Amino acid sequence: MDINTLKTQIELEILQVNSPEELEVFRAKYLGRKGALAELTSIIPQLPIEQRAGLGQQVNMLKSQLQALITDRQKVFSGGATKVTSSTICDLGMPGIAQELGRLHPITQVIEEINTVFVNMGFVVADGPEVETEFNNFTGLNIPLNHPSRDAFDTFYLKDYPKMLLRSHTSPVQVRAMKSRKPPLAVIVPGRVYRPDAVDASHLFMFHQIEGFMVDTNVTFSGLKGILETFAKKVFGEEIKMRFRPHFFPFTEPSAEVEISCIICKGKGCSVCGRKGWLEILGAGMIHPNVFKQVGYDSKKYSGFAFGMGIERIAMLKYGINDIRLFFENDLRFLKQF
Amino acid sequence: MTVNLMKVTYNWLKDFVEIGLSPHALADKLTMAGLEVKTVEEKEGDFVFEIEITSNRPDWLSVVGIAREVAAITNKKFNANCLMLNVKNPQCKRLNLKQFNVNIESQKDCSFYSAKILRNVKVGQSPDWLKKRLELVGCRSVNNIVDITNYVLFEQAQPLHAFDLDKLSSGEIFVRRARKGEKLITIDAVEKNLNPEILVIADKNNPIAAAGVMGGKDTEVSWDTKNILLEAAVFNPAVVRLGRQILGLNSESSYRFERGVNAQAVEFCSMRAVKLMLDLSGAELVGDKSVGKISKKTKSIYFDCRCIQEKLGINVASAKIKTILTHLGFSLKAKDKNNMLIEIPGFRSDVNCAEDIVEEVARIYGYEKIHSSLPAVKPQAKFSSDRDLVLFVKNILTGLGLNEAITYSLIDRESLSLCSSTSAFAEVRDPLSKEQEILRPAIVPSLLRCVSYNLNQKQELVNIFEIAKVYFPSGASLDEELCLGIVLCGERNLLLEQGRLKDKMSLLHIKGVLETLASRLGVKEVAFAWQTKEIVDVFANGKKIGTIGCCAQQILEKLDIKHRDVFMLEVSLNKLFDCVELKKNFVTLPKFPAIARDISFVIKNNISVQEVLDAIKIAGKPLLESVEVTDYYQGSQIPAGSRGLTISCLYRLLERTLTEEEVSPVHARIAKLLIEKFEVTLR
Repeated sequence: MDINTLKTQIELEILQVNSPEELEVFRAKYLGRKGALAELTSIIPQLPIEQRAGLGQQVNMLKSQLQALITDRQKVFSGGATKVTSSTICDLGMPGIAQELGRLHPITQVIEEINTVFVNMGFVVADGPEVETEFNNFTGLNIPLNHPSRDAFDTFYLKDYPKMLLRSHTSPVQVRAMKSRKPPLAVIVPGRVYRPDAVDASHLFMFHQIEGFMVDTNVTFSGLKGILETFAKKVFGEEIKMRFRPHFFPFTEPSAEVEISCIICKGKGCSVCGRKGWLEILGAGMIHPNVFKQVGYDSKKYSGFAFGMGIERIAMLKYGINDIRLFFENDLRFLKQF
Repeated sequence: MTVNLMKVTYNWLKDFVEIGLSPHALADKLTMAGLEVKTVEEKEGDFVFEIEITSNRPDWLSVVGIAREVAAITNKKFNANCLMLNVKNPQCKRLNLKQFNVNIESQKDCSFYSAKILRNVKVGQSPDWLKKRLELVGCRSVNNIVDITNYVLFEQAQPLHAFDLDKLSSGEIFVRRARKGEKLITIDAVEKNLNPEILVIADKNNPIAAAGVMGGKDTEVSWDTKNILLEAAVFNPAVVRLGRQILGLNSESSYRFERGVNAQAVEFCSMRAVKLMLDLSGAELVGDKSVGKISKKTKSIYFDCRCIQEKLGINVASAKIKTILTHLGFSLKAKDKNNMLIEIPGFRSDVNCAEDIVEEVARIYGYEKIHSSLPAVKPQAKFSSDRDLVLFVKNILTGLGLNEAITYSLIDRESLSLCSSTSAFAEVRDPLSKEQEILRPAIVPSLLRCVSYNLNQKQELVNIFEIAKVYFPSGASLDEELCLGIVLCGERNLLLEQGRLKDKMSLLHIKGVLETLASRLGVKEVAFAWQTKEIVDVFANGKKIGTIGCCAQQILEKLDIKHRDVFMLEVSLNKLFDCVELKKNFVTLPKFPAIARDISFVIKNNISVQEVLDAIKIAGKPLLESVEVTDYYQGSQIPAGSRGLTISCLYRLLERTLTEEEVSPVHARIAKLLIEKFEVTLR
């Protein structure tokens, strides 16, 4: 294209440019690395020597005219004044520009944290259905029907589905996993569980548990203590102390209620721990031979431990949350804190 | 009554064991032995312990049971001398008991029933020491006779009941199931309807007590009572439990019967009460009739002391083991160095196997003395589970700016009307409240409530998701399906260098989330089809996996959401996961440059862009590498009912550089196709 035609084209085209974006396209078209002017410049070396200087001059002139046109046009868009662009000044006091990330629910975060601790110790994760049979939820776990030991497990039974219920703990997965596999087993089971209850600051009718159990030829109470102490130190900090108190659960013998030194008062006694200096966080024990019998394990050959904890309780302690209902209100101001 | 809390006082315990510890030190010891002391309260010169008793230890529902424990923990002797019962019917002037009969309908319901007849009772106030002890453990004093039965209940965990003998219609007692239509006014003056599930004590005509639960008003001991019948019995725990559940009553008595009383001590306890009655009310024992059998047989467990090492992982000397067990009331017969036969006392119905003995030893030895060790966890195969995929999905969604919510899996009936489609659902039997009634068949209704809640908190953008099970009947069974629900509402403010932009949520945002997710999961094809005016079916690899849509106006009104659109997604993850392909295959990067050509045109709104793109893809073969929509506008320059689009076509050959001359005819062909088939106007 001859340089005068190009000049005319430029002058006509700049009038059609109506936005900064279009102006940028325009600039690239003529002044860009592969733009029209660059193309012209690139043919200069091929010209006879006497013509080279002349065209060179013309091109440079057109270039400065073009730049002036672009600058003028820019002023039109910015209302006369030249806008301060990022290339000249960057006020780092301005908010950064980024895609905002969403958050995982705090319960999910706590579950994943605990899972990781156990998976790193060699445990595998299993899950099971929330609608369970009465057998897996009770009988298979040595909880007789019509017995006071069931009082701790109020249960949602289902209408029109006899002997079916919403699991009241994650322990049925123990029965399922043991029935489907032979030892050695080291398993954790996180999940939702259900117990009829009126909702208040410390009660819900749905919450989350993590169940864990290990079965092998030489599993002992001492090993249970070791595993749980490791867990507590990883989740609550190395300085945490742990104590085991005798307790009763139908599916373990011996059974223990496990407490950690209060993370608020460090064991001195405060309102969170009820002045005791200790916080109950989980139940545990050696798997009862009757449970082994139900799943066809030989309790002479194998021994095992099991433990279970409420995730909401752990999360409340960990984050200092005082009302359990907050977890399921899903207030974004709450969710975005984690 | 506070059910699982047992009150006992320091001085009462001292009747049976010497205590060298302060009340608080004793409380700590008890707690660490499995009797969790909740509170210690100093009261009237004594200390009241409130102890949580686990359901396996009915013997701890008595002062003697706890005293026995104190003896074992503190290495002292349990002393029952104060119970000296030199009343082996000393003054029992044998009544002609032919006049008096006890009839047990079923030995299963009641294995033993003892009736003691006492004459010339002087009903009056109890002495202060008795009143005080009862009141300290939370039992109101009534009169000397009733107080004595309660005193023995707390001391021995054996519930007793005293009837006014003269109020019985005849000299006969029947232990039988209630008949349909029978009624009983219990001592709390409430009339209860009875049915054959309930075991009662009856005279010839009427029920006079709900067995093991509560006595009747008509036959209760009053200030005028002269003669009494003292009942001591062994009722079937399950029958008592069912009875009190049906009657909606819970008494100290039923609480103990449900957990099981020590049958071997019933007669002893009955005589303990008689002795107190003789001493405190001037009564004379004139009759003693018992029916049923009490097995004298004791349980024995063969125990190998090495079991301790095996189960606990520590070594406890066999001498120590023996001391602990003896203190707890077990009788031991040594077989050899490690083995012994352990005879289980009648009050320890909970001890049935070697593991129970291990717990006894561990408890008293002290859990804190068991050192911890780390077991070797052997490698095992993973369980097949969607967990990893679910977490992957959650991370993708949070990466897209969505926040994870967790809502209840049970919903109220009203929430069902927030579902965009009606589906079958399952219900909870006898729900406690209407919020806990229905197993949800969809997640979105719960999320819509979260939208409403958050809008009320003045959130400008509500963008949340949840992954949870939903439930639906499928033939005779109830299926659970893992689902993903997403709702978007409001606008995202983007502060960019050119100023503020408002990114208003739309159905395309939902589509974008799903497409990104599907693409990350390697799902080959996602397609959409309008089902109704608001709802779009979503297909993955040709199979329907769920819906996306815009919340209908009448639903928004129910939620009180005004001037906002809410967009939602509900997709079965089980179905989506069937289409997942996480295997990646590297595609060689192109060596030669591509040529990009745009086409801008105006197209009628009723023509789907997807159809246009699909047609272009076919028309552009084989040079066309990709085609995408790069701009979109509607405005004054565009005729109504149409929109302006810019489509960018990328042409490339893998083996050499493509020339403009090769591209032009193809691009012209595409333009022609647009004009002819889709009636567009090029701009």
